[in-house]
Amino acid sequence: MRRQLRSRRAPSFPYSYRYRLDDPDEANQNYLADEEEEAEEEARVTVVPKSEEEEEEEEKGEEEEEEKEEEEGQGQPTGNAWWQKLQIMSEYLWDPERRMFLARTGQSWSLILLIYFFFYASLAAVITLCMYTLFLTISPYIPTFTERVKPPGVMIRPFAHSLNFNFNVSEPDTWQHYVISLNGFLQGYNDSLQEEMNVDCPPGQYFIQDGNEDEDKKACQFKRSFLKNCSGLEDPTFGYSTGQPCILLKMNRIVGFRPELGDPVKVSCKVQRGDENDIRSISYYPESASFDLRYYPYYGKLTHVNYTSPLVAMHFTDVVKNQAVPVQCQLKGKGVINDVINDRFVGRVIFTLNIET
Amino acid sequence: MHQKTPEIYSVELSGTKDIVKTDKGDGKEKYRGLKNNCLELKKKNHKEEFQKELHLDDHKLSNRELEEKYGTDIIMGLSSTRAAELLARDGPNSLTPPKQTPEIVKFLKQMVGGFSILLWVGAFLCWIAYGIQYSSDKSASLNNVYLGCVLGLVVILTGIFAYYQEAKSTNIMSSFNKMIPQQALVIRDSEKKTIPSEQLVVGDIVEVKGGDQIPADIRVLSSQGCRVDNSSLTGESEPQPRSSEFTHENPLETKNICFYSTTCLEASTSPVGTVTGMVINTGDRTIIGHIASLASGVGNEKTPIAIEIEHFVHIVAGVAVSIGILFFIIAVSLKYQVLDSIIFLIGIIVANVPEGLLATVTVTLSLTAKRMAKKNCLVKNLEAVETLGSTSIICSDKTGTLTQNRMTVAHLWFDNQIFVADTSEDHSNQVFDQSSRTWASLSKIITLCNRAEFKPGQENVPIMKKAVIGDASETALLKFSEVILGDVMEIRKRNRKVAEIPFNSTNKFQLSIHETDDPHGKRFLMVMKGAPERILEKCSTIMINGEEHPLDKSTAKTFHTAYMELGGLGERVLGFCHLYLPADEFPETYSFDIDAMNFPTSNLCFVGLLSMIDPPRSTVPDAVTKCRSAGIKVIMVTGDHPITAKAIAKSVGIISANSETVEDIAHRLNIAVEQVNKRDAKAAVVTGMELKDMSSEQLDEILANYQEIVFARTSPQQKLIIVEGCQRQDAVVAVTGDGVNDSPALKKADIGIAMGIAGSDAAKNAADMVLLDDNFASIVTGVEEGRLIFDNLKKTIAYTLTKNIAELCPFLIYIIVGLPLPIGTITILFIDLGTDIIPSIALAYEKAESDIMNRKPRHKNKDRLVNQPLAVYSYLHIGLMQALGAFLVYFTVYAQEGFLPRTLINLRVEWEKDYVNDLEDSYGQEWTRYQREYLEWTGYTAFFVGILVQQIADLIIRKTRRNSIFQQGLFRNKVIWVGITSQIIIGLILSYGLGSVTALSFTMLRAQYWFVAVPHAILIWAYDEVRKLFIRLYPGSWWDKNMYY
Repeated sequence: MRRQLRSRRAPSFPYSYRYRLDDPDEANQNYLADEEEEAEEEARVTVVPKSEEEEEEEEKGEEEEEEKEEEEGQGQPTGNAWWQKLQIMSEYLWDPERRMFLARTGQSWSLILLIYFFFYASLAAVITLCMYTLFLTISPYIPTFTERVKPPGVMIRPFAHSLNFNFNVSEPDTWQHYVISLNGFLQGYNDSLQEEMNVDCPPGQYFIQDGNEDEDKKACQFKRSFLKNCSGLEDPTFGYSTGQPCILLKMNRIVGFRPELGDPVKVSCKVQRGDENDIRSISYYPESASFDLRYYPYYGKLTHVNYTSPLVAMHFTDVVKNQAVPVQCQLKGKGVINDVINDRFVGRVIFTLNIET
Repeated sequence: MHQKTPEIYSVELSGTKDIVKTDKGDGKEKYRGLKNNCLELKKKNHKEEFQKELHLDDHKLSNRELEEKYGTDIIMGLSSTRAAELLARDGPNSLTPPKQTPEIVKFLKQMVGGFSILLWVGAFLCWIAYGIQYSSDKSASLNNVYLGCVLGLVVILTGIFAYYQEAKSTNIMSSFNKMIPQQALVIRDSEKKTIPSEQLVVGDIVEVKGGDQIPADIRVLSSQGCRVDNSSLTGESEPQPRSSEFTHENPLETKNICFYSTTCLEASTSPVGTVTGMVINTGDRTIIGHIASLASGVGNEKTPIAIEIEHFVHIVAGVAVSIGILFFIIAVSLKYQVLDSIIFLIGIIVANVPEGLLATVTVTLSLTAKRMAKKNCLVKNLEAVETLGSTSIICSDKTGTLTQNRMTVAHLWFDNQIFVADTSEDHSNQVFDQSSRTWASLSKIITLCNRAEFKPGQENVPIMKKAVIGDASETALLKFSEVILGDVMEIRKRNRKVAEIPFNSTNKFQLSIHETDDPHGKRFLMVMKGAPERILEKCSTIMINGEEHPLDKSTAKTFHTAYMELGGLGERVLGFCHLYLPADEFPETYSFDIDAMNFPTSNLCFVGLLSMIDPPRSTVPDAVTKCRSAGIKVIMVTGDHPITAKAIAKSVGIISANSETVEDIAHRLNIAVEQVNKRDAKAAVVTGMELKDMSSEQLDEILANYQEIVFARTSPQQKLIIVEGCQRQDAVVAVTGDGVNDSPALKKADIGIAMGIAGSDAAKNAADMVLLDDNFASIVTGVEEGRLIFDNLKKTIAYTLTKNIAELCPFLIYIIVGLPLPIGTITILFIDLGTDIIPSIALAYEKAESDIMNRKPRHKNKDRLVNQPLAVYSYLHIGLMQALGAFLVYFTVYAQEGFLPRTLINLRVEWEKDYVNDLEDSYGQEWTRYQREYLEWTGYTAFFVGILVQQIADLIIRKTRRNSIFQQGLFRNKVIWVGITSQIIIGLILSYGLGSVTALSFTMLRAQYWFVAVPHAILIWAYDEVRKLFIRLYPGSWWDKNMYY
């Protein structure tokens, strides 16, 4: 009876039935004669006047109704939830009532932007100060450390993205770009230019120029004509048209680098892998096949403006044709490192010649 | 959720008597309700048995009918073959354990949960990138494959780690689950056999002795002085008698059915109470099994911290994905190749995701769990550690949790005076006047009229801890007298008992007759105790100051006043009287006959009253006060009588001294309850009956309007309704419980706390936490730890998030400005999973900044773990400063090696060309590709060191959120310094130890670069101190709102 009452008042819990246990306190309360209370409870209970059958019917009706409600309730929320979320989102983006964008009013936004402006301005000031201090400690003329760029790397010219020289002697198209590249590269070495800009300094010794860091330094001449057959002056195709290609080798510039103990660095090329006789002869220009000491040391781009990197030209006069020949050119000399495993361009350069006829 | 719950309410174990009386006639109607429910269950659970089994009418059947029904024989028992058949049919007699998530599923969840999915995406992108590279160039470098593998490895390792941590904490619990296999004495093939109780089948005849657990639902066939403790069903531990008589229509109320997992009590009588019964239900089909299965139907709510972490993961993942996609688009529109853009995307994801954070959180939580276990809170579910901290309502049991769970003598009344007895745990300080001769008589009655005895072999156990055979009140009296008088057994020996009428509920008294040790008069002493008014009826005189006075009206009145006063305290009052039987009428040889009652039982001499209560634990009032100041509402939910409940509530402070209930006000003003303005009352005592009649709105109203609430006379099922009501208030609810019936409420609660000593296994299974000492005060320490961990997690996350910006900026700058990449993906992983791990764990050891127990519990939906100020401050303030500092180191390294910053701009493309081996720097020097790469790695290392140095400052500033570091003490948390040391050492090892391992892309860095970022670190510290200063100076200001996280 009580249950039915409850189910009417609390419709959310319709299916209740009840197990009843002996009042656990019965024994407990034996000593405490709580008849008073029992009477009270009885009184409360007897207030229910309805007949049972009526109530049962009512209950059934209610249950059905509730079931319906439940079903309806289940259908809606998914759509609603999305709609609500969307609304919350849009309200978050722009709340027309309180004129708020992203939950902040215009005033609040301007305040926050102002504060951030000052904060970031002062941060910028700090970083500027730091960078300024950094530049104070760094000379613009000479790098602080050069150990990462030492030992010098080696590069060859002509160079077009790859170290495979693949060309057909009879097809100028296949080697023309090498010639153009070399010509372009050697523009700075033109005798006239060199004579005009640079001094002719004594060979065989370092061209040391004392004086302040910031003083302009003179550069030694390296004339194109030093390269003789590979200068492109006599043979404008640099030997490519005859299957005797010229390849220029230059050492990377490093500020302050001096070959050790006055021994100039020499260049020597050979077949890297395979039959050594694939290359029967190479001519080097200058004939010493070395970088003369007078081109060292290098004083840096800012003061040593006209510095011209010395070159060694390799003229592969007799190479096996119609097959790829891997060539390794190494720098040789005291203290020269040419066998770094990870870096295949330190003190050496490897390329392949594949001359087709 | 709401639609699913109704069935939980279905098993309602009412602790009230009224229904019994009114419903007596209409048993049928009740069963209709049952049937309805079963149908409902059947629909949901597809278990047809429910319907059948709950149609329990075995208690109405005669023994013969029972034999027929179950095909058994009461004398012979089942045959073994039949038993085996039934066992095969019904399955073992044990509860199906709650469905465990398979380990592999748990593991896989770790693999894809949180950030893992993002990292997997990164890994797959790596492999895809390699695939694209490979398809165009067969000799593509394997770097992307390695990176993908590393990312995968990171996910797997962190997953394994988190899984291991979880598993470790669950293992603590599994020790609880190992129950000693129970044995049952069963009659089969007309032989008595002991078999494991799992093998019991329906129809078995079992014998249960006092002290044993009832092995299944049994119909009592015969019993001797058997009483059962139904506390696991009802939550109340008052023993209930069991006999073979059919006393009630309702199977749960009739005396001839005992329920599975309840205990058959040891009686003090000999022979020990035994019961013989027929098994009528086994395993999950028992009532307990039914309830347990209902509990498993209650969904486990996500813990608040899980929600918070999810929220945080969403934020970070959202930032990562949106920045990633944004820059992917930017990169593509800047004419980067799609392949490169994908690689940028990976970098951005890796930089944005704090890979180590979730593992750190797990470690932090388990550290706290360990700390809590030391304080007697055993945490089953790691996340529950924090839940306790955010708890805003505790629904506490009374018995055992707030109280000592043993009856104790609290007051005495003799010589017209009320004396207070010491109810503290050790009883040591009994200060009342013991010189009166009335006390001497009273103490004699207490000692002699008592059947309780200490169990043998406990000589060295303190009296209060000794185990006793006997019921709660008798135990209380025994211990009370033992403490005051000394060896009770010796006194009893000297006063040999010659006759005894044990207590029963009809006469409501207990009587015994003893020889006396008085050498002068060899006369018998009759002592009696019982319900005070019954005792008083039998008395004609009263003893005052050792003298017998006739019992007149005025003395009767003083008696009643005292009785009402003690009763009003919620105490159980006993009256004591005695009579010296005249030696001439009752000579030494007189044979007392209990049945014939050949001795006087009236005109006795009333000696005194004694009241008992289950007193509160001494630590509880303090703990409740702490909860109060911590903004936690403590609600008492008990099956006890409202008066008792209220008395205990008052004494522990759940109802504070100056607050009144509506009834109190009515009583004070002498008006009707209805006339009282409900707003005036702060406290409310709601009984289970009232609760039953309430709609959920009414309950909400009560929960919202009253600060101090006591629910009395509630059935454990109503607990669930109360818990749901609290949860509707948006509160995080902690529930304590011990009975099987509490398990639905424990599960429903945000954090269920089971009692370690008194708790049933079902309760422990359903709970998230187990209180090893059953003490409410332990909850409070748990709350404190939980709050601390929330604060510290905030710090940890803020610390970890900060460097994400410093890791992310390089990629953005790299894409937009075209600098050589400042920091590599692998290096980022080394920060996230290497140097930063120990420091972020170290923050878990940080002490609280202020008294965390003095603030309100955090609001579930408002006080987020990661809120806007935290993210903004970490990302846009400190993170940015860190990025700048790290860039400074990076630029320093590059500039000193020859690449001045202006040269670096847009150098990226040339820089990364493998065939350019003579790239010119600012000084005209030419660099080979490998030399540049090596410089790039040096840049990574420099950036790494820059972040590392500033993370040290970050770690220090994160020690506090409001206070200055100097207030907090720079050196108080030693672990922080361990963290910093570890950070530096790992950094040194990476740079100098592993500097030569190319795959890791670390190089040996010049020592001075370690100090480049130090000014920035100091700046960060200073800036944060300023922030905190303003927060402290201007609480509530704009600054406070936007800068306090």
